[in-house]
Amino acid sequence: MSRVNKQYNRGAIEDFGRWREFTAGMWAWVFHKFTGWVLIAYLFTHIAVLSTAMAGPGTFTNTIQGLESLIVVRILEVGLLAVAVFHILNGTRLLLIDLGLGLESQDKSFYASLLLTGAIAVASTPVFIEGAF
Amino acid sequence: MAERYSSFTPGGTGWLLQRLTAAFLIVVLAFHFFLLHFINHAADVTFADSAARMAETGYFVTMILFLVTAAFHGVNGVYNALINAGLDGSAKTAVKWVLIVAGVLLIVQGVRLATALQAGGI
Repeated sequence: MSRVNKQYNRGAIEDFGRWREFTAGMWAWVFHKFTGWVLIAYLFTHIAVLSTAMAGPGTFTNTIQGLESLIVVRILEVGLLAVAVFHILNGTRLLLIDLGLGLESQDKSFYASLLLTGAIAVASTPVFIEGAF
Repeated sequence: MAERYSSFTPGGTGWLLQRLTAAFLIVVLAFHFFLLHFINHAADVTFADSAARMAETGYFVTMILFLVTAAFHGVNGVYNALINAGLDGSAKTAVKWVLIVAGVLLIVQGVRLATALQAGGI
């Protein structure tokens, strides 16, 4: 860790007011936290919605298809995809760094994670929105 | 080490389990999205289709493992994020147990609904 601290005088990430001075690694930390909170909140919601299966086949199918008929749900699903893809890509980056791979290019791999997340979200939007309008 | 931002103890069990579950979740979460948004469309999901998938033992086991690892990874992640934000003392103990109970309830409910779907597909 001392090597990291010598390379980057990053200051306190908790002082979010100075976000303009944040380095790539600090943004990666912020985004990983944010996407993590969204994913665990969604997991509880997801299990709650799917639990309608216990009320019978009709209730389950009507609930899922009713939700999917709402445009706002489709848009939120694209957001969820973006959140999940970023967490997966940045998580892979973190695992590799933990294994000692790519520390020197950790800023570039963060930018690559962001770009790839954007590209996948945009490319997937037609599939997610299909039939909603 | 004041600038060390991870709240995990390096080499600790929590640290290792968070990474092992991460490696599993990377693959299974991507599979889950691919199966239910690209191969099948979420808008076309029906009880019969979900039940048929869940009736396959390999799929059922994968989903249960997905549930357990995701619940652990998420709850442990929240716990460590809160420690990172300064959670300490008796509040830390209280939050830990609230998160453990929430995680266990999530897993129990997930297994119940997966079993209900599985029974509907056999």
